[in-house]
Amino acid sequence: MSHFLRPLLLLALLSPIVGIASPDLIRKSLVRIQTVSQDPDYTTPWNTGVIGQGIGAGFVIAGDRILTNAHVVSNARMIWITREGDPNRYAAKIKFIAHDSDLAILQPLNLDFFKSMRPLEFNGIPEIESTVMVYGYPIGGDRASVTRGIVSRVDFQDYSHSGADSHLVIQIDAAINPGNSGGPVVQDGAVVGVAFQGYSGDVAQNTGYMIPTSVIKRFLKDIEDGHYDHYVDLALTWFPLYNPAARHALGLPDDGQGVTVSTVFGGGSSAGIVKPGDVILAIDGHAVASDGSVQIDGSDVELAEVIERKFKGEKATLKIIRDGKPLKLVVPLTEPFPFNLFANAYDVKPRYVLFGGLLFQPLDQNFVNDTPLKNSRTRYYFDHFLEDNLYKERPEIVILSNVLSDPVNAYADEFRQAMVDTINGQKIKTLDDVAAAFASPAETYVIEFVGASRPLVLEAKAVAAARSRILSRYGVGSESNLKP
Amino acid sequence: MTPFRTILFAVALAVTGNLRAESPSEPANKPAATLPVAASLVRVNSTNQAFNFVKPWSKRPPFTRRGIGVVIDNARVLVTAELIANHSYVELERPASSEKIAAEVERVDYESNLAILKPQDPKFLSGARPVQLAKDVQVGSEVNVVQLENTGAVALTPGVVTTITVAPYPADGVALLAYRLTAPLQYRDNSFTMPVFAGDRLAGLLMRYDTRSQSADLVPGAVISSFLARAARQPYTGFPRAGIAFAPTRDPQFRRYLGMTGGQTGVYVVSVAHGSPAEKSGLKKGDVVMRVDGSDIDEDGNYTHPDYGKIPFSYLVSTASLPGGELPIRVLRNGGVIDLTLPLEPRDPSTILSESAIVDRAPRYYILGGLVFQELSRSYLREWGGDWRNNAPARLVYLDEFQDELPSDRGKIVFLSQVLPADTTVGYEDVGANVVERINGLPIRSLEDVAEAAKHPLNGFHKIELEADPGVLYLDAAEVGRTAGQLRSSYGLPAVENLSDPATKAH
Repeated sequence: MSHFLRPLLLLALLSPIVGIASPDLIRKSLVRIQTVSQDPDYTTPWNTGVIGQGIGAGFVIAGDRILTNAHVVSNARMIWITREGDPNRYAAKIKFIAHDSDLAILQPLNLDFFKSMRPLEFNGIPEIESTVMVYGYPIGGDRASVTRGIVSRVDFQDYSHSGADSHLVIQIDAAINPGNSGGPVVQDGAVVGVAFQGYSGDVAQNTGYMIPTSVIKRFLKDIEDGHYDHYVDLALTWFPLYNPAARHALGLPDDGQGVTVSTVFGGGSSAGIVKPGDVILAIDGHAVASDGSVQIDGSDVELAEVIERKFKGEKATLKIIRDGKPLKLVVPLTEPFPFNLFANAYDVKPRYVLFGGLLFQPLDQNFVNDTPLKNSRTRYYFDHFLEDNLYKERPEIVILSNVLSDPVNAYADEFRQAMVDTINGQKIKTLDDVAAAFASPAETYVIEFVGASRPLVLEAKAVAAARSRILSRYGVGSESNLKP
Repeated sequence: MTPFRTILFAVALAVTGNLRAESPSEPANKPAATLPVAASLVRVNSTNQAFNFVKPWSKRPPFTRRGIGVVIDNARVLVTAELIANHSYVELERPASSEKIAAEVERVDYESNLAILKPQDPKFLSGARPVQLAKDVQVGSEVNVVQLENTGAVALTPGVVTTITVAPYPADGVALLAYRLTAPLQYRDNSFTMPVFAGDRLAGLLMRYDTRSQSADLVPGAVISSFLARAARQPYTGFPRAGIAFAPTRDPQFRRYLGMTGGQTGVYVVSVAHGSPAEKSGLKKGDVVMRVDGSDIDEDGNYTHPDYGKIPFSYLVSTASLPGGELPIRVLRNGGVIDLTLPLEPRDPSTILSESAIVDRAPRYYILGGLVFQELSRSYLREWGGDWRNNAPARLVYLDEFQDELPSDRGKIVFLSQVLPADTTVGYEDVGANVVERINGLPIRSLEDVAEAAKHPLNGFHKIELEADPGVLYLDAAEVGRTAGQLRSSYGLPAVENLSDPATKAH
């Protein structure tokens, strides 16, 4: 390790300290956030979940608000905030939370907290190679820590909190560790980002990521109406049009413009308006290059960035060519990406139905995070739910996730993780359908699974006789939860 | 025993220098080299060269497998099929004299993992003793695994048959009768095909050995004799299979649902493969198979064999009967008992959408302007290594695994396997592992369809419609023709297509 440290120290000594606000001033804005959280356990969905503690950072912004990361306060049962030089802990609550961009606004219950605190202002995207300072509480600790970094690049990247969203990200060469999360990244006395994710040491070192102010400002604007709407999305995929033959076949000139639409997802904003095969030439007046980039404010960005900047209820105008003819399409941006199945969900309770010791759960990212999918068909359905349009047949994949062993289900083990197709002939499209099927009186319940398998038969009498036995033996409080 | 052990240990050290070698407990009272089985053994050296399914126009580097074959009638040699899979050259060697001769493969069946070799000159095997098959092997029978020392001396390792059942064979999706035995085996210089004898008769051929549990699986005499009977007929027909998947009927709630009375036994049919003997017999999903060839089938799908005890009834279909016959089966359907007749046929290759293993023949492919098209096979997916189910393209793994659920007229699964960067494929470089639906408007059900469609471009363009994103690719037909030669030379392709009939072998 020591040979790594020495050059680093040297660098710090040699770097000129210019244009950085006095650290004391920043410390007047910095907030230490301590949480007690409770994460549900999807393997025993009736249980209350695992209690854990966490420490993160936040900072005061205009309007007596505290900005932090969503992941710092997700699933929190208690939030305490403290400020530098004040031994008191203040209880706080979440005002707004955006899991898709990993941002949250907190408010202390006692607004006296803001006395002597100074709100921070925002700046734009920092220059590549410029120096920034990261404030926070890495690896815990009561005192603020400062690290210095260089802006390495600005790019679209995945936001690991939801695991399903990607937005603009600024990479810096200061390590961002647990406890840094939510802390301000400062340049010239103003915030240029919120530290939010990094890599573990075995993947990459001295790489940290911050949320740029464009994403932060969008969040702050979105909540102006007192409500956070999700990012909106066109919900389509496109393919570049570099290939000369493809251009000629579609009757396009060799001008390097346009991309073709490959898939339009049902239920999304573009469904019924845009069609696969359409050539998008421009979006909101920005010409779309054949690699899918558009020019905004003089820089090349992916065409998705045009939509990124929009809010629910706004429209996108597409100039397209369909069947050789130019067309103007107006897409009302009413919907977020229609499939939240693949996003980590927070502050939700696991949904399930228990019947005759058989546990039925819908597949989503939270479930998969707790239970590896071993059934190859089920795994395929989950992984290819969108790609292969499987969502059209069943909006939710409900599986027999576990068997609480009892004489009533002694032969049900072979069906573990199989997808429920029908119950007593009723097609199962959501978990609610499962609950409804078992709620309707019958002598036997015949459960058919997707693919070649025998039906699983439960006799109502046997299920009734086993009911209290199973609940008490396995400590199950409630037989179902249908509300997230 | 002790003095003998010491001597043998010393010999092993001197010959192989292998410190880990442990002494097998050979019977000390019999000089090994003069055992009667010695006259039935031949060394087999096979130089094999597998095809590369990711670069379907090329072969992998050759490697050599050694094994011990047993001499059978008409101056032929029996080995496991795995030993000679994808062989380029097979050679026989007399153990004592090290005399060698080239051999050809007279018959190979990868499902039963057996092959018959024939020396170029039958006189090569003069003086050899053709083996007889042991008929009365049972659980508990004592047998000897036979190996050869470098000197040509026979090394015997005794073992006991612990289990006789239908077990998975090396070929995908094949399960036939197997003997499992426990024997503390140490490998000599050959690892493939070790004969196992009961007395001086052949009990089976060893096909896998687990060093940790010291257990070995054998292709048993029953499978060998069925193979030899099939090999004696023209044309050769492989081991039959019914073509059903079934579930047990032990669950009392399920039994009541099916209307099975207390004494009724059998298994519940969950699927019937397209074009299979089961489909021809009229068997349907939901039937309960109660009797096969006069034997009662229990709730787990076993029947009682006079020698082997309880074994899966698939043995009756695959091995117990002669080729070309049929078996009576009795099923319970909607509470009533009906009798059906199951024709005994091997799997019809034309009904297979994704072949399990392609051996001894080059992968088929068709290259159109840098787009490489192939037909899905397990051999292609296996190129992703041991964990191919997780590493190979998931859509293709799914189609392979659940191919029986696809419509029977689906045809072969033709997919775009990769794109060779060329002028014609600019911008398509990252497309791959994408199933082809249509080319130039023609539905694609085989590589022949691709070749045919390629003759009919639309307005000067080839339009390739794919199942997944990006959906459609276009090629300039004139440019494809113009640059074909250049593509061949720059990628060193021996040909831009291999549409050889799957029924003909590469050799």
